[in-house]
Amino acid sequence: MLIRFKIKEPGRRGFGLWFPVIIIWILLAALMLVLLPFLLLAALVTSWRGPGVRLLLIYPLLASVLWNLGGLTIDVDQKERVLLIDFI
Amino acid sequence: MNEERRKILDMLAQGKITAEEAEKLLDAVGDPGSGTGAAPGTDAAGRRPWKYLRVQVDPGPNSESGDRVNIRVPFKLIRAGLKFAAFIPREAHAKVNQAFKEKGMDIDLARITPQDLEEIVSNLDDMTVEVDGKDTVRIFCE
Repeated sequence: MLIRFKIKEPGRRGFGLWFPVIIIWILLAALMLVLLPFLLLAALVTSWRGPGVRLLLIYPLLASVLWNLGGLTIDVDQKERVLLIDFI
Repeated sequence: MNEERRKILDMLAQGKITAEEAEKLLDAVGDPGSGTGAAPGTDAAGRRPWKYLRVQVDPGPNSESGDRVNIRVPFKLIRAGLKFAAFIPREAHAKVNQAFKEKGMDIDLARITPQDLEEIVSNLDDMTVEVDGKDTVRIFCE
């Protein structure tokens, strides 16, 4: 899956970028790994009153959202700016 | 009742085929009630499996901004995102319920189950919203 990102302003040179989503996956996986102890701690602290163990579901849910991003298109054409984000 | 099913039943009534043969033929053409034999490109309920929710905003003749918006959201993503509803803190439920009430919807967020959410999403395909004001807003499935 690729992300196509494009931004253009009148009178300026546009900026376009294509990059594979796997880069985000790798960065996010590293971030998740770093945050895991804190998440476990938060789950422990809030287990008495609060989300508790449900906090650990954030990881699979986040993965499911990222996995299903394919096909998402956001195309905004304003007078002063054109923005396109496309997951291909 | 479609034409094929009627013909099969007529043949059975005329004694041209046996009940067993009629049953086989009916199975082959599909029973709309059972969901088998759905038309090509449709799901078990006979509906077309839409993939995306589209939101289009086109500027009308009296539009001030002239903005054009085109958003396409995969249904899979909507389903995945809705699961995050489980993380809405209980303290926020009252505020959300109040906001719903102000908009004329008597909904208790605590009582909405994942099955309810799934039902809402699966029925979004019947929805088409068109608003003509300064801008034209269209929400539909494709």
